Amino acid sequence: MTNAINEHRRRQLMDLMAKRQWDSILLYGQGWRKDYFRALVNVNYSGPYAAAHISRSGEISIIAADPWDRELLTGLTGIRTSAWSAPQASAVAGLELMEARFVQGSPASATADIEELRRIKTPDEIECLKQAAALADRGYQYFADTARVGMQEYELVAEVEGFLKSNGAEDNFMLIASGGTEVVGMKPPTAREFRSGDSITTELTPQVNGYYAQICRTLVLGDPSPGQLEAFSIFSEAQQAAQDLIKPGIKASDAARAQNDVFRQYGYGDYTGSKYTRVRGHCLGLFPDETPHILEDVDYVIQENMVLIAHPNTYLPLSGYMVFGDSLWVTADGNVRLNTTEKKLFVKEA
Amino acid sequence: MKRGLIEWNRTELPTSVFDARLSRARTALAEGDLPALLVYTDVWRSNQARFLTNFMPYWNRSLVVIPLDSSPVLLCALSPRVYPWIKSVTIFEDIRPASKLMQTLDQLCAERHWRKLGVLDLPMLPIEIHSRLGAIEAVDVPSKEICEPDAAELSMRRRAAILARQILEEQLPHGANALDHHFVGRLEREFRSAGAEDLVIRLSPSGAVPRPANGSKLGASYSVAVSLEYCGHWVKITRASGNTQALRSRFNAALESGEGLIENLSGPLPFEAGPGAIFALHVEHQGLYFGDTCAGTSAL
Repeated sequence: MTNAINEHRRRQLMDLMAKRQWDSILLYGQGWRKDYFRALVNVNYSGPYAAAHISRSGEISIIAADPWDRELLTGLTGIRTSAWSAPQASAVAGLELMEARFVQGSPASATADIEELRRIKTPDEIECLKQAAALADRGYQYFADTARVGMQEYELVAEVEGFLKSNGAEDNFMLIASGGTEVVGMKPPTAREFRSGDSITTELTPQVNGYYAQICRTLVLGDPSPGQLEAFSIFSEAQQAAQDLIKPGIKASDAARAQNDVFRQYGYGDYTGSKYTRVRGHCLGLFPDETPHILEDVDYVIQENMVLIAHPNTYLPLSGYMVFGDSLWVTADGNVRLNTTEKKLFVKEA
Repeated sequence: MKRGLIEWNRTELPTSVFDARLSRARTALAEGDLPALLVYTDVWRSNQARFLTNFMPYWNRSLVVIPLDSSPVLLCALSPRVYPWIKSVTIFEDIRPASKLMQTLDQLCAERHWRKLGVLDLPMLPIEIHSRLGAIEAVDVPSKEICEPDAAELSMRRRAAILARQILEEQLPHGANALDHHFVGRLEREFRSAGAEDLVIRLSPSGAVPRPANGSKLGASYSVAVSLEYCGHWVKITRASGNTQALRSRFNAALESGEGLIENLSGPLPFEAGPGAIFALHVEHQGLYFGDTCAGTSAL
């Protein structure tokens, strides 16, 4: 076995099969969700499907739809990778996403079990996440240095994408928005040109060796308005409230409430609901938006060695949509901020 | 992952193109005595919904419903805060929040008194959705009946192929002896600045199949395969450094004989092994690769 195979995960899966009385588990990957497959076989395939099958004795076999992927997987794992065929297993991780035509018999879903195993990161995984967070920091600095009045949103994204890929990112999840109080959320980039006074918001989420870390910051072109400054002070206080609180034993709901209470304290509680925001954070790992989400109705208990982002991103009438957040590694008695980017409202001369 | 420019240029793709495509879908519905067509779409599998409505979920997944006798409805897992943007780049006027897709579909079916639905490529539905069609009778409607490339589709693919070829051929010399990460970064910047919506880049030194960048040096001879999505239209172009006359000859011969690695680019996925009305053909010669996007017997 090579290090393309996650040996820790292989042992975890063997234990899981013994516990659940499963003979085998299939880790199913497709173009959007490669994470179940990469939880065991950490190879970045490019084709439409790849799956890894592990037996109770720990023997692994791999199938992939794309012939170039098959050569890559065989070379990196030492396991002869076969052409795609409808795979059989007692249980499937990613079953819910699997196309109906591929489902053989009535396998159990291993999705929830595998997601729970993935939440607790090993030292190797933490190292990957640290590298991804460091790249996110460098990427954000490049973002801030490159943005200028007259540039179009998609041009800035192209520059940042080029920077991140040049520096080893496999992938990057990124949303952006620009403008003033009319901006209510983020989306893919448009051809809108940046103007003086704009808030430019971004979630930047580079992937290094399979693992995504995220940073959220807001940049103002020109002098920030009193509304932008006031909004940022609320966001900063809310994010810090979560960062101060997060440690093993608290619930995801506690971390969400700590952030939302700051908004309530300043009279903006209405802007903490689903009408204006999605989540107050989420876990990170092989997928950029892992569960549990940080929401007031999610009572999942945070554990040591989880990595998550707390971000009170929402719309406020003071500033329009604003974002602010860092990736946090949960340690035995608290958390470590993985990003090192200054916690401030970024301002750039227009 | 989708993060490039997503827009609807109505000069390139007039509304009448979508009217004609929806009309084709409705003809199939009428012939099958079906009240509506269900189309699944997610961030990777967006070709069919894009073909019919220009909608693409840049994140998450959604369901497109095309009734026989009324306007299309989007059951959307994205936030209502982005609906104005969705309306600006698609044909949709009726967008319904659907964090629980199937519950929202059930409500729509009850509201419209639908007891059965046509489902585009039913066996390809994710099992989570397939198994929850429940009381609704689902009838498979093969996409080849509805989503066969029309003149507008071929024109957009040709535009995408020209863009991909031009940038790749301009940039190819910069890969010589470069670190593959640096070269991929350069290509990402160039393609996305030119309006690429999504990209999958694979490359390799001579003697190896193209694969994602891994931090190694390319050397003097190398191949680069670019899958490019431009305004929802995927193409795949592969080029090699140096004198590629022998590769081009081999490619032309393969185009006539039907040999070589063939991928379908006109199905639901960006690319998948097998033939298609629009397809990518790749050949190998002495460890280098060459390929292009084709229709019929010629490259687009």
